[in-house]
Amino acid sequence: MLDLIFTFLQALLDQTGAVNFSFGNLLMILVGVIMIYLAIAKHYEPLLLVGIGFSCIVANVPGPPDVPGGPAVSALLYAVKDGGLFHYAYMGVEKLIIPPLIFLGVGAMTNFGPMIANPRLVILGAGAHLGIFVALILAKMLGFTLSEAGAIGIIGGADGPMAIFVAVKLAPHLLGPISVAAYSYMALMPMIQPPVMRLLTTKAERQIGMAELRKVTKLEKIAFPVVIAIVVNLFFPPVAPLITMLMLGNLLKEVGVTDRLSKTAAGGLMNVIIIILTVAIGSTMAAEKFLTFQTLEIVVLGLLAFLFGTASGVVTAKIMNLFLKTKINPLIGSAGIASVPIAARVSHIVAFQENPKNLLIYHAMGPNLAGVFGTAISGGILLALLGVN
Amino acid sequence: MPTIVPDTVQGALIVSVIDFFLSFLIISGIGIVLSFFPMLNRLAQFVKAAPPARTAHDTKAAQGSKVVQKHHVDTEAQDNIAAIAAAVFVVMDGAPHRILKIEPSARTSSWSAEGRIAQHGSHHVR
Repeated sequence: MLDLIFTFLQALLDQTGAVNFSFGNLLMILVGVIMIYLAIAKHYEPLLLVGIGFSCIVANVPGPPDVPGGPAVSALLYAVKDGGLFHYAYMGVEKLIIPPLIFLGVGAMTNFGPMIANPRLVILGAGAHLGIFVALILAKMLGFTLSEAGAIGIIGGADGPMAIFVAVKLAPHLLGPISVAAYSYMALMPMIQPPVMRLLTTKAERQIGMAELRKVTKLEKIAFPVVIAIVVNLFFPPVAPLITMLMLGNLLKEVGVTDRLSKTAAGGLMNVIIIILTVAIGSTMAAEKFLTFQTLEIVVLGLLAFLFGTASGVVTAKIMNLFLKTKINPLIGSAGIASVPIAARVSHIVAFQENPKNLLIYHAMGPNLAGVFGTAISGGILLALLGVN
Repeated sequence: MPTIVPDTVQGALIVSVIDFFLSFLIISGIGIVLSFFPMLNRLAQFVKAAPPARTAHDTKAAQGSKVVQKHHVDTEAQDNIAAIAAAVFVVMDGAPHRILKIEPSARTSSWSAEGRIAQHGSHHVR
């Protein structure tokens, strides 16, 4: 009788995931908890980190094995499996449906006025991308193939959708760790960038004030997306789907007669996509797949890419100051790394902490928006050089 | 499309140098295109400067709209004065005061910038 009860209890236990719980799962659950903590307590990109962190936690709670004696499968991974809800969500990432839609929403939310108002600053959008190439070369030295190295390097562009886009084209098997690294570091930019920015600038440089920008007319704002869409489709077909959607979203915003569409693109549609994207990314963080030496290498390379990108942006701004009559605050250089508007906000906050009367947000948005194009251009050239259409 | 770059560290260096250099070149090109954008405004002004001949009916309608616009501006100004007076009353804690003059602030003055940042900060997206 006792034996029978014990057998039943054992069978019941086998139906749960408790027996399959590993140290790796515990570690990844901790990572997920830290992400949620940073989102709530520090307000580090909560829209991204809450979803990614929660999915990371659930993906690491093992369920019963899929087949008797097989590996444990979490409840979330059931949903990600063929036919499950998040299977199709992940397909949206893998089949490159979601990244262009994100760009549509970003375009509908973005005012490109600061970039149009001060065209000189767009150069910072290229200057802050040294990190891409540092990571690319280091990845190759670590033994990754050139395509894999290119996909890892683009993390330094600090542009999540672009990182996904390039990773799917160059190294789809690395999509999980690359997207996790890209989005996590983007969310953690308020921690990563300021020390580098302060290290490379003097107190006097950080206090440089900048004159108010000229007013950009509605006509210019309408012409901008049309002109850029033509230029990008003409010269950068590999990244044209993303930038074209960005420009369409922006045109919907600026024309003033399609409010319903721009509000949908920037609001409801964008929110749905964020939920799908964060769950899709977080669900790839299961310990057995994620806790590998290769992932660790990608995470470290991603961090280096962000550090070098920030540094090169600041240094580019300082070099520009050697030639400019009216000096620019070098803190806005780091905003050229893309990640709109996080990087611009970091530039603004660091300057604001030095001098509360120095309001750099509008100035930093120029290089920040140029950074989106910088990443797209770097990614497009990379895809073209590596023979990907 | 086959790649012409060798899958070596040297290949990675070549790709990086070409990509970084071209990125600078192309984004500078975008900057140059953007620097011509103010010309669009001049073009628009030029087009506006040559309006079609007006009929008597158009002129009458335009005069009517001016009257409506003036009334609108006056109402708006009154609203602004009331809002400013209320704000001053709150800041002064209701102490006796007299508003001598209200005029548009210089856009670069630091106190108005402080006001703007305080107002922006008050509804910061977190």
